[in-house]
Amino acid sequence: MGAAMNPRTPFRGGDLPDVLAGTLMISLGALGLWAGRDLTYGNPAMMGPGFLPASLCTIMALIGGFVLVKGLSKPAESMGALNLRPLVTLVVAIAGFAFSAERFGFVVASAWLLIIGSLADPESRWKEIFISTAVLTSLGALLFVYGLGVQMPVWPF
Amino acid sequence: MSFLDVLMLGFSEALTPTNLLFCFIGALLGTLIGVLPGIGPTATVAILLPVTFFLPPLGALIMLSGIFYGAQYGGSTTAILVNLPGEASAVVTAIDGYQMARKGRAGAALAIAALGSFFAGTVATIALAVAGPTLSSFALSFGPAEYVALCIFGLLAATILAHGSVIKAIGMVCLGLVLGLVGIDVNSGSARLTFESTDLYDGIEFVVIAVGLFGIAEIATNLESTEVRGILQSKIGRLWPTRDEFRQSWGAVLRGTAVGTVLGVLPGGGATLSAFSAYSVEKKVSRTPEKFGHGAIAGVAGPEAANNAGAQSSFIPLLTLGIPSNSIMAMMLGAMTIHGITPGPSVIQNQPGLFWGLVASMWLGNAMLLIINLPLIGLWVKLLQIPYRLMYPAILLFCCVGVFSVSNRGFDVALVIIFGVLGYVLRKAKCEPGPLLLGFVLGPLLETNLRRAMLLSQGDWLVFFERPISAILLAVTALMLLMLVLPAIRKNRKAAFEASED
Repeated sequence: MGAAMNPRTPFRGGDLPDVLAGTLMISLGALGLWAGRDLTYGNPAMMGPGFLPASLCTIMALIGGFVLVKGLSKPAESMGALNLRPLVTLVVAIAGFAFSAERFGFVVASAWLLIIGSLADPESRWKEIFISTAVLTSLGALLFVYGLGVQMPVWPF
Repeated sequence: MSFLDVLMLGFSEALTPTNLLFCFIGALLGTLIGVLPGIGPTATVAILLPVTFFLPPLGALIMLSGIFYGAQYGGSTTAILVNLPGEASAVVTAIDGYQMARKGRAGAALAIAALGSFFAGTVATIALAVAGPTLSSFALSFGPAEYVALCIFGLLAATILAHGSVIKAIGMVCLGLVLGLVGIDVNSGSARLTFESTDLYDGIEFVVIAVGLFGIAEIATNLESTEVRGILQSKIGRLWPTRDEFRQSWGAVLRGTAVGTVLGVLPGGGATLSAFSAYSVEKKVSRTPEKFGHGAIAGVAGPEAANNAGAQSSFIPLLTLGIPSNSIMAMMLGAMTIHGITPGPSVIQNQPGLFWGLVASMWLGNAMLLIINLPLIGLWVKLLQIPYRLMYPAILLFCCVGVFSVSNRGFDVALVIIFGVLGYVLRKAKCEPGPLLLGFVLGPLLETNLRRAMLLSQGDWLVFFERPISAILLAVTALMLLMLVLPAIRKNRKAAFEASED
């Protein structure tokens, strides 16, 4: 609390992780309040379905505001190295799996997931990717679809 | 039933060939992921949760708990040999363990770690067997007001005792509670926070949140930076400790076991906190504190006993009160719910075979770990050389197929993306995902009991202070929060957790 008025960092800086956390909590709280705007709030004796969601979202947004304000006045702290390539690649890989699992079956979904997913690591080599995709897809089909009985077609046709 | 009867019952359940196999698989998997850096027990349990659908309830729980305590053994192996703690709880073991390894005493450090862990695991298992029936019969008298107080105590205490910023952790608890409320409200039948999607009517699957926050987000963070490898101390040396080393470590094992058993029960406690506390205890009671950091065997024995005892005793609140104390226990709660078991005081009475079978399997598992770890140490060391780029695609496949299999729909897999991204952002924002998960599993319990208690009291909030048990729980919670505001304690807490960043 002593660092609230730090003259060395007038506008730039601030504790970036805290700023991010505060912003995130405020926006999620607001999102929750908006999504639950039609729910009955009720009163303490007869709580409506919206009582707890609205109360908790408000508390979360307030906490977010507190963290944000304090974060802005704290001495500068960076977020650490930011490298979005792995995350974006993984999102594309998983989205493809989610889309194709029911439509095109296990083999297509798993091959997409593994080939694209492997690109998330810059150290990956094509030869390794193809071998591991082939091995994991066939083992996966045997284990999950035939062995454990996961309800997913194996082939697209 | 007398103590001997229930023990017999437990062992007859745990000793069936299938359950023995599950116990072995769990212990083996736990050791494996404990050795491999980059994948922790929380992520592994999250990933394997869907697979346990296909197992019998007891077998599933035996395997999942085996992974948890097995990881405590495995984590210490890499901490000692390559100065690379496989688990957060083994961070302190690396301090003196690696120094012992550099002096050629790696074998003795590994043996003391394993033997100490085995002893601690045995004691904590007995504590669970003794405390279980007592606590649960006490909890059977709990009404809605007590449950509300217990939830609040559990959630807030977990944020205080875990490392990281408390206020952010409370925000995460709120977020988790809100996520737990998504879906059709049982009382009124209205759809809550579903964004007009019928797929969300049944609420968000626990597995989706667990895999997203702990599985996918962890892979994304691990891939951001290139791997760091320690230098392998190839010479393990003689395994059996000398008489002098035994003399120096048995006291530490005893103290570590006590510290771990007590701290494991507390919300937010568990293996990591226990290990750190045990290390500072050892340093304080030692007659030669200057030796710590230069290969003191007590600095290995104490924390290793403590992390294993803490791992075991954190099962106590879950199995007796139905309140998980950390994210792994939240996963165990998820696994029990999947099998239609409501964790809580009634489990011991209604399903004694399940409770005592699990307790007995923990002891058997600890014995197996001793055998898995000591003679096979060379094999585990070899595994360290597997690069992460070959490992994570398999983890990714397990995550996606597992989530898909919960309700056989791609929608859940798509939802995992949202929680994966959320988990990544939370890591960047230095928010712990653990409290979120605790809030998520306790959300429905808290809401049901809160509504019931307030209905009974006709809207009078004082009901929570009129009933003695809930009043005490809330008073303790308030006291903890109050103490946190005091500067002296804040400073101590900060120092205690400084080294435990994982």
